[in-house]
Amino acid sequence: MRAFNAELSKLFSLPGIWLAFLIGAFAPAVIAALDSMAQKEEIIAGVSTRLSEVGYIGLALGVQGVIILGVLAVSSEYLTESSESGGGQQITTSLTVVSSRLHFLLAKAGAVTVISILLSVVAIMTTVSATHLVLGEYTPAFEWPKLLGAVCFWAFTALLAFGITVLTKHGMIPLAVLIINTSFVSFSFLLSKVTKLALYLPDRAGFEMFMFLSNRFLTPFTGGLVMFAWVVVLFIAAAIVFHRRDVAS
Amino acid sequence: MSFPSSKKITRILGAELDKLVTLPSIWLTLTGTFILNLLLAAAFTSVGLQGAAGTQSILNIGLASMRYLQAGFIILGILATCSEYTGGQIRSTLTTIPWRGVQLSTKHFALAIITIPAAFIMAASGVLYTFTMMRDTAVVIEIDTMIKTLLGTTGYLTCTTLLSAAIGALFRRTTPALVVLLGYYFVVSPLTRDFPPRIRKFFPDTAGYYMYLPPSSVKLNFLTPMQGAGISMLWTLIFITVAIVLFRKRDA
Repeated sequence: MRAFNAELSKLFSLPGIWLAFLIGAFAPAVIAALDSMAQKEEIIAGVSTRLSEVGYIGLALGVQGVIILGVLAVSSEYLTESSESGGGQQITTSLTVVSSRLHFLLAKAGAVTVISILLSVVAIMTTVSATHLVLGEYTPAFEWPKLLGAVCFWAFTALLAFGITVLTKHGMIPLAVLIINTSFVSFSFLLSKVTKLALYLPDRAGFEMFMFLSNRFLTPFTGGLVMFAWVVVLFIAAAIVFHRRDVAS
Repeated sequence: MSFPSSKKITRILGAELDKLVTLPSIWLTLTGTFILNLLLAAAFTSVGLQGAAGTQSILNIGLASMRYLQAGFIILGILATCSEYTGGQIRSTLTTIPWRGVQLSTKHFALAIITIPAAFIMAASGVLYTFTMMRDTAVVIEIDTMIKTLLGTTGYLTCTTLLSAAIGALFRRTTPALVVLLGYYFVVSPLTRDFPPRIRKFFPDTAGYYMYLPPSSVKLNFLTPMQGAGISMLWTLIFITVAIVLFRKRDA
């Protein structure tokens, strides 16, 4: 528990984390508002084909905040200080204090999960109010199971970013790959045109939890399960690598 | 130390090139981007092969990976300027080269020297791969159109890299710079697709897009490649100027 508190305190004192909070709280609302504005007329006329995605699209594409959170949580530990202040890495200090590597990793993952769940709740509130603001009485009702799915999607995305960064030790590559993958030109979307297997990739499977895609493939529950399996596999791989790796290298 | 001015510039350029070439992450980024580009070209080609034969142009498919490829070049630009700030290398740099404006503009120039051949090779390899795979099915295009498009692509990627380097110099930290640039190019820009093209064509990435848009495309071209290049260069120059002005004012 003390390690968990320490991790929370470390996360909150990172300078980059405020960027993550800002993006996480407002990017989904902005995306949802823009999307609602674009198809407002269709919705009022009652001919919109994407009625069930209104608002949720912001939650699906606005996950950059938690990606930054997950990546920063690990990459900040490996950042080399300037040579003027000793050229050390925070990870050596962290592991001196919490000597069990598994505990350290679990505490960190726990802190990331808690913060991303809180962030997703904030994001849902801003997104729902933004959609109401734009669409007024035409806003489709937001259902609890789907909102729960969105919360799970955000937490799992943060943990995926976390696990990948433990493996790479450097923040840039996971950040670039994951942010591009949340965009309109995502790799998984491209791959899903090449092979059906790509529909089992974590983000595609995760979308099934709260978005009605036109070509539905998995039920919301199996979608969440598939994404959770990815998180677990990645976390186990990260734990093994982290356990065996020399910290100094 | 008294050097003639021309020799001074050459020596600074040599030093900046040296620093960039010896940065391991630059080579990692370039190789990674190259491999990724080939993989994406393969994916796009196989999607294209499934489509109706004889309707697509090789250039369109070969350059479809450009949207992803620019990420590698954004990283390259950010690395070039932000690497100075990890570990305080910037202080040694400014001790040896105490002319801040000259130093930063030479850095951008050195970066361009590395980027231009790399961008050309990557764009060409993507198109070449598509060409060898789809020779039988796709529409054949003339060689001068291809060269024009490749030059446009190279120009676009170079502008993007220099712009990213300027943004990197503004932020001085890798993560915020990367988030802002990737967020703009991959999230904000596609979202503003509904904006009227009258405004949108002046955005840095859309203007650059017209630089390599194939002329035979059915879509309306709002800008000629030359106009696109002009606007895109203007953006780059504005950002570089802002970066240099701030660099001269700020505490290193």
